[in-house]
Amino acid sequence: MSVSASVDLKLDWDIQEDPVKLVPFEERITKGELVEPDDWMPHNYRVGMLRMAEHHANSEIVGALPEGEWITRAPTLRRKLALIAKVQDEVGHGQMLYRVSQDLGKPRDQMLRDLITGKTKYHNVFNYPAPTWADVVMIQWLVDGAAIMNQATLADGSYGPYVRTMKRINMEEAFHFKSGEDMVLTMMSGTPKQKQMAQEAFDRWWAPCLMFFGPLDKESVKTSPFMRWRIKTATNDDLRQRFVDRFAPAALDLGLKIHITVKDQDGMVTEKREDTEIRRNEKTGYWHFSQPDWNEFHRVVKGNGPLNKKRVALRRFSYEQGQWVRRAIVGGSDLPPLC
Amino acid sequence: MSRLRDHLPLPAEGALISPPEGDATPFEVFIQLLRGKPHVHAGTVDAVDSEMALQFAREHYGQDQACVHIWVVPRSAMLGTDYEHDVIWRSTDRSYKLARGYQVHNRWRQFRSKEDVKEYEKEDLKEHY
Ligand SMILES: [Fe+2]
Ligand SMILES: [Fe+2]
Repeated sequence: MSVSASVDLKLDWDIQEDPVKLVPFEERITKGELVEPDDWMPHNYRVGMLRMAEHHANSEIVGALPEGEWITRAPTLRRKLALIAKVQDEVGHGQMLYRVSQDLGKPRDQMLRDLITGKTKYHNVFNYPAPTWADVVMIQWLVDGAAIMNQATLADGSYGPYVRTMKRINMEEAFHFKSGEDMVLTMMSGTPKQKQMAQEAFDRWWAPCLMFFGPLDKESVKTSPFMRWRIKTATNDDLRQRFVDRFAPAALDLGLKIHITVKDQDGMVTEKREDTEIRRNEKTGYWHFSQPDWNEFHRVVKGNGPLNKKRVALRRFSYEQGQWVRRAIVGGSDLPPLC
Repeated sequence: MSRLRDHLPLPAEGALISPPEGDATPFEVFIQLLRGKPHVHAGTVDAVDSEMALQFAREHYGQDQACVHIWVVPRSAMLGTDYEHDVIWRSTDRSYKLARGYQVHNRWRQFRSKEDVKEYEKEDLKEHY
């Protein structure tokens, strides 16, 4: 696996790839063959794949933060064990995905530094707060549920190391999701107070989950060949529709209401009204729903969400505090020799 | 018997003239049968360096089935666990960290019709339960 660290990591659509290499490469992808790190690949395939894997790795690491806060306050021992295991899984997913990204040409330390200096991003959904245990419940049911839908399509992609990592990750995601279902079923079978907590958390997470799949297809400016190269295998709108078709009727049957919400700067709901668009189209079988506030989405992506600064600050703290560990392991030649 | 063999120039008995040279280095061989699938351990070859090991591995393990890729690793570079002393998978109950540790189907049925639960479960990653 020898990729020089000096690969230029920017997309460049002016590059004319050698057709003698490009044509068989695309034929292999059409046939469903997997691309391996040492294979020839178009520059933009490498960069596109790296960006996706790196963004995914960042999201796993930052995604562990909101739930990690709740480990000490889990309501039972079994829930605590499960939450510890889940948070550990997510950090492990980050490790595996950074490894995949490294073989595409970007050093790991550079990725960690870019994340905390704001040069790269992580998933928007983790910029929202988890003020109650019911938020942990909704994260594991809805956010992990959304992640599974996305990752199941990514496991059908073309880059071998990423596809294999996705399959491993999905095995663990299946646990996160079942645990989330178990918890939401517990809360919705519980006391009026538990049901109310669940409803309030659901109101906080429904819109961020709709945004989870990215901007509307008509607004996403990708004229790139990422679908043809199977870096992506489903469009944002398709995934979003599948999410609503699965979760809207389940939520309603549980006794939850689907609201259109207005939030304050801290991500807390200040106003809500029932989403009257929510209904099944009997002809197509698809569920109608109101689009989330896409202005909010763009605001949060640009770094102005409720917790962007806090999440990055915590990562930065841990990076700075970990300096002595990195130095001891891979540090410079000025260190004293190991006995 | 050719005449040559009747007149071999070396003695057939007594001390050997050639000194012992020792063995080459063992290399473990991992083969991949299909692109995109994992490499699996196939066996071991002795060689003086990884180039030679790869060449031997191609001959020994790459010719009797449709092999597409080979890795060779010097055995000295590998480290393994100890069957006696290393516990890797604890046998205490860890169902809390497995999907099958959560039996939610019947719980859903308290809220939803059989058809709706079935439809909902279609998106489950069933291969992992
Ligand atoms: Fe994950
Ligand atoms: Fe997860």
